[in-house]
Amino acid sequence: MSSQVDTPQRRSQEIIKTDPLKFTFRDPSGQLLLTESHALRRIAPVAIEETQAFLSSPLRESLERSGDLIPTEIAKSRGFGAMNPGELWLQHPRIDPISYPWEWTTGQWQAAAELTLRLADKAIDAGWTLKDATPLNIVFAGPRPALVDVLSFERRDPNSSVWLAYGQFVRTFLLPLIAESFLRWPLWATLNSRDGYEPADLYKALRPWQRLKPSLLDVVTLATLFERKNAQQQKATPANQPGASRTDPDLAAHILHRRIARLGKQVRSAARTQSRSAWSEYTQSASHYSALDRDGKRQFMRSVMDRCRPERVLDIGANTGTFSLLAAECGADVVALDSDTAAIEALWRNAAHQGHPITALVANIARPTPAVGWRNREQLSLLDRLTGKFDLVLMLAVIHHLILREQLPLGHIGDLCASLTSRWLVVEWVPPSDPMYQEWLRGRDDLYGKLSENDLRQSFAAHFHVEDRMVLGNNRVLLLLERNLQGGRDQGRCNPETEPE
Amino acid sequence: MIMKKLLQIIPILLVVVGAMMLFEQPAYAYADPGTGLLAIQAVGSAFVATGWYLRRKILAFFRKESTAPRQLNDYTPREESESSTLS
Repeated sequence: MSSQVDTPQRRSQEIIKTDPLKFTFRDPSGQLLLTESHALRRIAPVAIEETQAFLSSPLRESLERSGDLIPTEIAKSRGFGAMNPGELWLQHPRIDPISYPWEWTTGQWQAAAELTLRLADKAIDAGWTLKDATPLNIVFAGPRPALVDVLSFERRDPNSSVWLAYGQFVRTFLLPLIAESFLRWPLWATLNSRDGYEPADLYKALRPWQRLKPSLLDVVTLATLFERKNAQQQKATPANQPGASRTDPDLAAHILHRRIARLGKQVRSAARTQSRSAWSEYTQSASHYSALDRDGKRQFMRSVMDRCRPERVLDIGANTGTFSLLAAECGADVVALDSDTAAIEALWRNAAHQGHPITALVANIARPTPAVGWRNREQLSLLDRLTGKFDLVLMLAVIHHLILREQLPLGHIGDLCASLTSRWLVVEWVPPSDPMYQEWLRGRDDLYGKLSENDLRQSFAAHFHVEDRMVLGNNRVLLLLERNLQGGRDQGRCNPETEPE
Repeated sequence: MIMKKLLQIIPILLVVVGAMMLFEQPAYAYADPGTGLLAIQAVGSAFVATGWYLRRKILAFFRKESTAPRQLNDYTPREESESSTLS
């Protein structure tokens, strides 16, 4: 038996030895490893001096204080069994679960882009610059974005008016927004392109008159034409020799500020308000819910929060977040997901406005976001990020969607719920007589027309037993379920007073 | 007078624009700066630099105009005092 103390750092060292892919590997300045409680960053020897200079700079202090930059501490060598002398390790608090850019709404995308520009702008006068500018360096802690990569900062050459990360910002932040706005390419399609879109990708797809729009002229049209010209020149002559850039320092700073201001305008112009969707107005227009039923549902949910006192809640099919907000008001950290972008946009804006700790993401639980990146190991799948992280899961009026639209058996849905929650589950059962159920039944009465609440309860019985139940006036049923003790089953454990009639 | 000033400014601008177009090529980058987007930065820099120099020259021109009488007044006593010191 080992006499060494089992710390997160020690466990991380074991992981590193056995699985090097647990570390990030693209940035030569350092590598990141996620542990259960922290994000640990090993700084490469070549970047130690620059990193220490940034960490002791007033810029870092001011950015951390404003919440725009994730807090950083020098990791203590104690507990790092495999830490080599002279190595610099940093540790950050773990934001968990995180959402990836392809799970963001337009508003979240815009907020992340504006944060990046704000950081780049503040860095200029402090003598620093962002060496990379990609949405993958931004994480939403609740509704608020923050930069998580402290290695993005490097000292700025005061005589240079070039922002080296400009191209990356345009490709990864701006062009996806422009593509969504002008071409209806969804933001989630960026899942397939780590480095965003090339100007030529959009140039080919845009109509000739669109290419001349002032907000697109430089980053799409001229950039494409320059690229073509450059490609032709490079065929005829050897590669261009890099030359020295010597601009007056005041002028260089002025040019950089102006460039960032223009990018900000282009981002705002491209991030046009999303069109209203059917679901985003669902909570307001739901004709199958009377005011009485709505109040009854809210009352039931309030009693659930009082009884369960959850710390971490997952709201699946959150819509515009009525019950995510309720859970957050009761003190829980909430992850809310829905496949409807407009609904999540409304939810996120509400949460940001009210300052609630809600992480909102666009995702479909029936087709969860896959793991992506090199060897499928760089970004985790949705379920890898969610599994076992919650003590209360809400599935309000979701199950009939999974049955009728995704054709999923009830038993599989129960298995999924059991993998997500460590204790509580709230389910809203929508009966076949309900107009919403009928809308999706579409002549499959033999298969799905006779499903009942009892079928649901039997299918979930392997994992859950019923703790509370309420029938609403529209015949929908709200069930509070609790995980069975290990090896137990719920038969006979249901509260007799809450048995269905 | 104004024409003369403008004729002085134009060669400066041409040099600034030309220098930016020719030399704004970074040698080291972590993120791919892109060829077309890098050229866009050079063009944008040239435009901003043009405005920057123009504004400075125009401001300097008007400052000179407005401060000219004061300088003339200031000049005489200084000249006198210097000459008196020298003498």
